[in-house]
Amino acid sequence: MRNMSQLAKDIFKYGRVKDCPVYDMHGHMGSHYGIHFPTKSAEKTVKSMQAANVQKLIFSHHGSLMMRDGNSLSLKEARKFPGLLKVYCTINPNFPEVTEKDLAAFDEARDVYVGIKLLAAYHKKPITDDGYKKAWEFANKRKLFALVHTWGDNNMNGPEQIDEVARKYPGCKIFMGHSCHGEWDKAVLLANKYKNVYLELTAVPDERGPMEKFIEKAGSKKILFGTDMPWFSYHNYIGAVLGAVRKEEDLRNIFYLNAKKLLGEIGQL
Amino acid sequence: MKIKFFDANAYIGTQMLGVYKSAATAAELLEKMDEVEIEKALVYHMAQFDYSPEEGNKMLVETMAGNKRLFGCWTLLPPQTEEVIADNFFAQMKKNRIFALNLFPVHHRFLLNGVVFGEFFKELIKRKIPLVLSMREGGATWEMLYSLLKEFPNLTCILTDLSIWGVDRYTFPLLEKYEKVYLESGVLSLHEGSFEMTVKKFGAKRLVFGTGFPEKYQEASMLHLLHSNISETDKQKIAAGNMEKLLSEVKL
Ligand SMILES: [Zn+2]
Repeated sequence: MRNMSQLAKDIFKYGRVKDCPVYDMHGHMGSHYGIHFPTKSAEKTVKSMQAANVQKLIFSHHGSLMMRDGNSLSLKEARKFPGLLKVYCTINPNFPEVTEKDLAAFDEARDVYVGIKLLAAYHKKPITDDGYKKAWEFANKRKLFALVHTWGDNNMNGPEQIDEVARKYPGCKIFMGHSCHGEWDKAVLLANKYKNVYLELTAVPDERGPMEKFIEKAGSKKILFGTDMPWFSYHNYIGAVLGAVRKEEDLRNIFYLNAKKLLGEIGQL
Repeated sequence: MKIKFFDANAYIGTQMLGVYKSAATAAELLEKMDEVEIEKALVYHMAQFDYSPEEGNKMLVETMAGNKRLFGCWTLLPPQTEEVIADNFFAQMKKNRIFALNLFPVHHRFLLNGVVFGEFFKELIKRKIPLVLSMREGGATWEMLYSLLKEFPNLTCILTDLSIWGVDRYTFPLLEKYEKVYLESGVLSLHEGSFEMTVKKFGAKRLVFGTGFPEKYQEASMLHLLHSNISETDKQKIAAGNMEKLLSEVKL
């Protein structure tokens, strides 16, 4: 492996390196209508995490995303491995009564909850919609994480909507899931414009080019590693990052340092 | 054990919309392969897809220039139009180090069935020439593939560029029914656990390593294979052995 740092060479050789853990800031769990997932349970997920030295996975269960009132599924799975698994509370704007209930119960689940998850393109209401307002205000006040599914050329969760919420809710740490996929330059602009906005890598490494752009134009401190686990595998994604990012310092920022800092800031390290 | 890699899915040239740091020539591709220690590759030229199979096939031969580490893959069109398949076709394949054939029926606007390719596919079966079917946009659809295999169950098919959304619900029935269907590992290795489950259910012999370069990172499918939860013997088979065996059986 020419042109690789010693750290990258070691990851290639051993598959995992003790002093370079990986923090996965974007995952899911459970089965799914459109895809067969061999890795569905918390137990299997943790096995895959260990093989790649992934020390933290923050997820939202498919059941919380694709049906009404499913956040309890995330909590139940996360509590099997509370040190390794943390949860985003899914907010579905179509069911305000569920959001109200979930936010009222949020503090009781602070052992695993770290923030909120928005999947607006699927739930068909823009992230600026009133149906999300209470959740945004809640997360803003408590300085929580907000993992937002983002995509380019999209008016539910595209760059323009992120611009608006980033301005309105500076207390939130907003992770652009998939980094406004396709509109990479706009994602970089947002990450540079707002202190509280981060580029998240899920669905980015399966194409050469964007990661190199992020490193060059936004810097590795604004990039978070994520996989959509169990959609995408750890070693494939880690390999892709090694293919794109040459400097050891950048690799460490992306794999764990940025995530650890953010988790520290919300007292969840 | 040092694993040796044979990439079953890489192309030379760029798309008309551009691809990040692609390899303009065979020499550039070989340089990229050396960087990550990939020994051999089955290659085509993107002009075969984007521009014209007729011209792209020629461009491939020209840039490969007989290099022994590269194995060419030409793109087919219906034999009746005589654009690609003409007299001495197999002799031409031999002369130009072409060991496999691919086709993109949606993008190139033809049907993939016995009416179009009947006699020709019978010849491919006899000669054990692999047909590479890309599942990328413009390639084959799953419906096309299912009906093709019903007509030609003994055709050797390598399915490449599998979709970003997991495809086990499509591929497992094919692997179960047709023993000459193979999957390229590039995008498959992206899907958590699917690669391992495929090996467990159908055996390592049904997979061939591929990267999808230049669109995908070679390092991604390499790191995945090196640390996948299968035996070392199976890893070597997938990394290069299966592909080498398939190509060694080709009769031109
Ligand atoms: Zn996701």
